Amino acid sequence: MTDSIHLGALPENVDMTCPLMSRRTFLKGIAAGAGALAVTAAAGGGAIASTGPVDPNAMAMLVDLTRCTGCNSCALACKSTNERAEPTTIPTKIDANAYSFVDVREVSDVHGAPLKVFVKRQCMNCVDPACVSACTVGALTKEPGGPVVYESSKCIGCRYCQYACPYGVPAYDWDNPLGLIHKCEMCADRQAEGDEPACAEACPNGAIRFGKRSMLLAEAKATIASNTGRYVNHVYGEHEAGGASVLYIGPVPFAALGFPVLGDETITHHGESVMRKTPIVALTMASLAAAMQFMTGRRAKHAHGEFVAAVEQSADVSNRTASGDHS
Amino acid sequence: MTAQGITRRHYQPEPVGATKLNEVEAAPFRLEPGMVVVGILGFLTVMGVAAGLARLLIGLGGTTALSDSTSWGIWIGFDFALIAFSGAAFTMAAVVHIFHLHQFQPVLRPALLAGFLGYTAVLVLLLLDLGRPDRFYNFLLYWNLHSPLFEICCCVLLYTTVLVLEVAPDFLEKFGWTKVRRFVLWLMAPVTVLGVTLSTLHQSTLGTLYLNMPHRVSALWWTPMLPILFFTSAVMAGLAMAIVAYRTAVRIHQSPEETKVIQGLMVGIGGVTLVYLAVRVGALINNGELFNLDWSAMRTWLATIEIVLGALVPATICLVPAWRRRPTLQWVAPLLILAGVLMNRFNATLASQTAPVAGSAYIPSMMEWMSTIGILAMAALAWYICVRWLVRFDGSHEAH
Repeated sequence: MTDSIHLGALPENVDMTCPLMSRRTFLKGIAAGAGALAVTAAAGGGAIASTGPVDPNAMAMLVDLTRCTGCNSCALACKSTNERAEPTTIPTKIDANAYSFVDVREVSDVHGAPLKVFVKRQCMNCVDPACVSACTVGALTKEPGGPVVYESSKCIGCRYCQYACPYGVPAYDWDNPLGLIHKCEMCADRQAEGDEPACAEACPNGAIRFGKRSMLLAEAKATIASNTGRYVNHVYGEHEAGGASVLYIGPVPFAALGFPVLGDETITHHGESVMRKTPIVALTMASLAAAMQFMTGRRAKHAHGEFVAAVEQSADVSNRTASGDHS
Repeated sequence: MTAQGITRRHYQPEPVGATKLNEVEAAPFRLEPGMVVVGILGFLTVMGVAAGLARLLIGLGGTTALSDSTSWGIWIGFDFALIAFSGAAFTMAAVVHIFHLHQFQPVLRPALLAGFLGYTAVLVLLLLDLGRPDRFYNFLLYWNLHSPLFEICCCVLLYTTVLVLEVAPDFLEKFGWTKVRRFVLWLMAPVTVLGVTLSTLHQSTLGTLYLNMPHRVSALWWTPMLPILFFTSAVMAGLAMAIVAYRTAVRIHQSPEETKVIQGLMVGIGGVTLVYLAVRVGALINNGELFNLDWSAMRTWLATIEIVLGALVPATICLVPAWRRRPTLQWVAPLLILAGVLMNRFNATLASQTAPVAGSAYIPSMMEWMSTIGILAMAALAWYICVRWLVRFDGSHEAH
């Protein structure tokens, strides 16, 4: 079912559970055949949400905020593996030159005492990514194994992904006249070779764990349960906006640490449910307009003849307006 | 914008092929308002082209105030407003060629020209905004059927082609290409239906575009009804633009106005705006916003001005018979509608948005303003020349 996360951008990615999403069916819809109408009606009736259950083999990262000491090894390893400029300069925000950074947050703990929390931030590699749904050219895709990857050769630089992302992650390379989008891909290329993401490998404190999402989730919940008082009872990323491939556990509520408060429902379902109706809207509008044109055309013919005759007779516009009222 | 230097044309049948240009050339030279208009618009156009070239060479970072937190600026704001204004073409094409209300024929040409040139300006603005303008055609190669922006790109491209066909007869008539013109006219019925369908799709999908940003857009604007709001407001703005284009064209030609035609369009605007207001206010109630307005927030004021001055007031003018007969209010109502829709698109793109990661405030750069104004001036200049050259108000366009 994770296939349904994919977009119809590439033929091999076509989600066969929802016929509307295939290019061929779309073209059929445009062709406005009766068959296509049936197909679209059937698909529209049984609209399927594009989020399926998470792939049992999907990989994820678990970030334990209580273990992070803010050493920035992860952020520098990230820069280095992604071949960013100034690989020894510690980044302070996500941008085209740094796909992750360690955010220093000063908050109060449950007893009101000051507490410094180091929050590693990067792309959440969502289960049902809004950027993937939004991307005009399908340059962003969700891999079944977890990563949300970016194919830069397709990108036209419209920057819609920046608006769709609830975490403010995709960064545009503003200084480049032919700038592109940049984001963490959960080291998809390293994963393909059997390695961990660079940040997880670099962490000396075990604050970033890499593994199967299902196992990490179980582990996160067990850790929270066995360390009463050390963690708030919330795995951030388990359900947020349909879930993410990066999970966090931490000592204070996540909203206090600058994590966006998001519901369990996906960002994508609003837009996709409307987009799915496109062929129906097109066919309805075209048939209504054509029918209207045909009917009023016959009715107007007589009046139109009168109208033209009146115009020919009349040298004055005001007379013409009066005759125009008949049609 | 009256052209006093031009001889006033009377409504006698003019031989086909006799151009207005001949008449203009025959008149003795003197500085007429038309030349001033052309001069100013021409200057702004040159300035805009220069700014646009600078952006293409230097890149977005060096020429705009855009950033990762506000990466769509006034180009997109004007672009989306201009798409709605250019709805003049599909609304008037529907009125005349689908509903066959032939008394509105005089409005059709100025409206089609405004729509065609409007979409041309939209494409140029979009090209400036794209990070990779050299790859603009990629949306034809790589499809994402989930993406509202993909659908908009496809529809705008196809619809601009439709508009070329819709304005072609006017040009072909001038060139005397009778056979080609007759062929295009033969295509006109299905082409109009196609144009209305494509317009319905992309005008509403511009609203769908914002459905993917529930986390960013304030509840004063965000509602699942956005596609319907964007479509209805495009019809409002389209009809309003048609009135403004018609009244301007009539003045350029110093022809008398057909007040009944204007009033008819105003009734249409009034009706559609009532539907828009019902959905807009309904969404505010549904969102729980209407009875919890925070008057200390700038957004509340912006939304209020947009709804009251941009929709409620002009709708009232349009629907009260005594008011819509007054020539001044016949300017006020459509111009308020246009201002309201412009404001709505700007609010949706800029004022209503809160980026997940805060960045510096967006204050548009000089380059952004210059290129935007220049491109709009270019469209206005082209429209002015086309209207002087192509449009007649003597009834001879009935064959169209």
